[in-house]
Amino acid sequence: MRAGRPALARLDHHTLERYETIWLGLSVIMVVLLFVAVLASFVSGTYPSLTGESGHHVAGVRNGRVDPRLLGATPFATPGTRQNADGTYEAFVVARAFQFEPAVLKVPAGQPVTIHVTSADVMHGLMIVGTNINTTVIPGQVSSFTTTFRREGTLDVICNEYCGSGHHGMISRLTVEVGPP
Amino acid sequence: MTTAPLPLPDSARAASLPDAAFLARLKTLTQYYVVTAFLALLVGVLIGPLQALNYGGVNVYDTPILRALLKSYYQGLSLHGVLNALVFTQFFISGWLLYLPTRDLKVTINLRFAWLSYLMMTAGLLIAAVPLLLNQATLLYTFYPPMQGSPVFYIGAAIMVAASLLVAGQVIAAWVGWKRAHPGRVTPLVAFMSVATWMMWTVASLGLVGEVVFVLIPWSLGWVGGVDPLLSKTLFWWTGHAIVYFWVLPAYISWYAFLPHHAGGRIVSEPLVRLTFVLFLLNSTPVGLHHQYADPNISTTWKFIHMFLTFLIAVPSLLTAFSVAASLEDAARARGGRGLVGWIGHLPWGQPVFSASVLAMVSFIVGGAGGIVNASAAFAPVVHNTAWIPGHFHITVGTATTLTFMGTAFWLIPHLTGKRLPSVRLASASVWTWFIGMMVFALGMHWQGLLGVPRRALVSATTQDVYREMPIRVPALLTAISGMILLVSALLFFYVLFRMLLSRRVDDSEATTPIPYSEAISSAGETLAGASALVRLTEPLLALWGVALLLVLLMYGPVVARLLAEAQLVPGWRLY
Repeated sequence: MRAGRPALARLDHHTLERYETIWLGLSVIMVVLLFVAVLASFVSGTYPSLTGESGHHVAGVRNGRVDPRLLGATPFATPGTRQNADGTYEAFVVARAFQFEPAVLKVPAGQPVTIHVTSADVMHGLMIVGTNINTTVIPGQVSSFTTTFRREGTLDVICNEYCGSGHHGMISRLTVEVGPP
Repeated sequence: MTTAPLPLPDSARAASLPDAAFLARLKTLTQYYVVTAFLALLVGVLIGPLQALNYGGVNVYDTPILRALLKSYYQGLSLHGVLNALVFTQFFISGWLLYLPTRDLKVTINLRFAWLSYLMMTAGLLIAAVPLLLNQATLLYTFYPPMQGSPVFYIGAAIMVAASLLVAGQVIAAWVGWKRAHPGRVTPLVAFMSVATWMMWTVASLGLVGEVVFVLIPWSLGWVGGVDPLLSKTLFWWTGHAIVYFWVLPAYISWYAFLPHHAGGRIVSEPLVRLTFVLFLLNSTPVGLHHQYADPNISTTWKFIHMFLTFLIAVPSLLTAFSVAASLEDAARARGGRGLVGWIGHLPWGQPVFSASVLAMVSFIVGGAGGIVNASAAFAPVVHNTAWIPGHFHITVGTATTLTFMGTAFWLIPHLTGKRLPSVRLASASVWTWFIGMMVFALGMHWQGLLGVPRRALVSATTQDVYREMPIRVPALLTAISGMILLVSALLFFYVLFRMLLSRRVDDSEATTPIPYSEAISSAGETLAGASALVRLTEPLLALWGVALLLVLLMYGPVVARLLAEAQLVPGWRLY
């Protein structure tokens, strides 16, 4: 302590303890609020739920898993969007170094579409710029999610997981069209 | 903290009191760890501006000089990530957290064993460096399979991690020995923080050890035909997130134990510091699934539980923000500071030892706020794998940890060697430019990431229009400029560091630069019998270590078990 400075100018144990407790309380409240906020988004469905579950009916897919050497025996053999007998839409996308198949994915506007994506070789990423669609594409696994594209137009699809020397060129497009694809 | 010891049996005291010869040898060993760390950092940071230029839209990797040195941007990035994030941190922390607890407990340790750990760690580094430099391990820092690297890389990395566990074991054993020799005594604060950090690391490293030893090495040697990439990735992030706390906690030790002294203040509350480290020991590991929100076939429920646990780690960090800010206020008022915020100007901003740690903390506040965004499953898809992420960890690890260690070197090296800091002015300039450079970099990268620029991509060489259509000119410019600022900063820092290291020894370091322990306003006390409830609750670290292990097994057991049961093995590829 510097000479000539009264002892009261410095912080003491009791004052600190009071502020400490207030601060601890505030931080706990903050964490609770964060938790509640995310719980709300989870319940309201804005939580992006990525599973392999919705791919259960797909030939060759078991527990959300698929053998990347045998994609020929699954709907991934012919990537693209199709309409099922019940009127729902499903899209199959294959990522392989260094492109997405199909090169341009066409999806219907205003209709829910379930997208299944898998990799034929290494790990990739599928990010649709301007949306919150952002999936790791893992060989041996199928990522499935259902989404609705409301506006017509073209979106960029970027691979965002390092996949080798050509990674930065692995970019394709998605077009949202009115009417059947 | 360092008061006279209680009366002890003569035998216990004789066995544990270090003499001057021992201290000199311990200092030499610590110096080897620290200098090796900074040599790795030197190479790592010199590659940094090349990556910054890439995100500024300039591809320098196609120039003939670089072509001769590095095969690709991805090889440069792999070296940058491994050297800065793994090698620099591992070596610095191993030296720092071996030296501090040994000194704080006033014990002797087996230096032969300590040197063996150092040599093993260095051997691991050199073994892993060969394939990295030959472009046979261009796997980036995360080395996700099925992208396959040379087995030599995985073996070298495993040896390095194993060596750090030897250091951990030696420190924990020294502490257990001290506890036996001093029943009823409260562990001194710095030793307590160090032991808790090493305990956390042993629990956290289990995932990576499992991945490398049982999966990657046999697979890369061709003993097994395939690998489950999702299982490997899950084991990687078991360690991969906790490792950031292994990098940050040694910086926290500096902020708590030494920064108040540098500023002329006191630690606010020792019991609170102990609580903070116990919370980190328990809570930093079972959170890794928040790196895998974008991965399929991991139950949403488990992702959700890990998300909540991740948010809980904000609490010890917020306690730290309060504690350290209060100790700085205490210092500033002692220096004549007045007013609600006026005291801030009375802190010794021109002293690099001080400013490095405080600027690192300021950076960590911003970084921590971004971390809460990353940890939130609802926000994560917007920023996942975008340039936002490297923006985030350059102001957490790249500044909170690295800048603190840089500032620590300004007193630690004189303390270890008896050499003097050659220029306070240049050292100070390197600290401030590092901080400014990282802030500009973070702004540029966070901004680009929000607009959709992916991370870890040679975006400057992309022939498609996507990045030209994005409004990224300003953030790209910021990123490029930050790379140049950081280059200048690094050159200044390494000039000061090497001038210091290569200068002549001028004095007895122990007398002129003692370890700058801070005194506390509320101390933990000397004996457990007279200590507060919080101190008695946090003292049994061995039991808390067991709880930490149990918590990890509870949070990871079901996830890993399901992945094992449904494993889908795929072949390896080398696409670089």
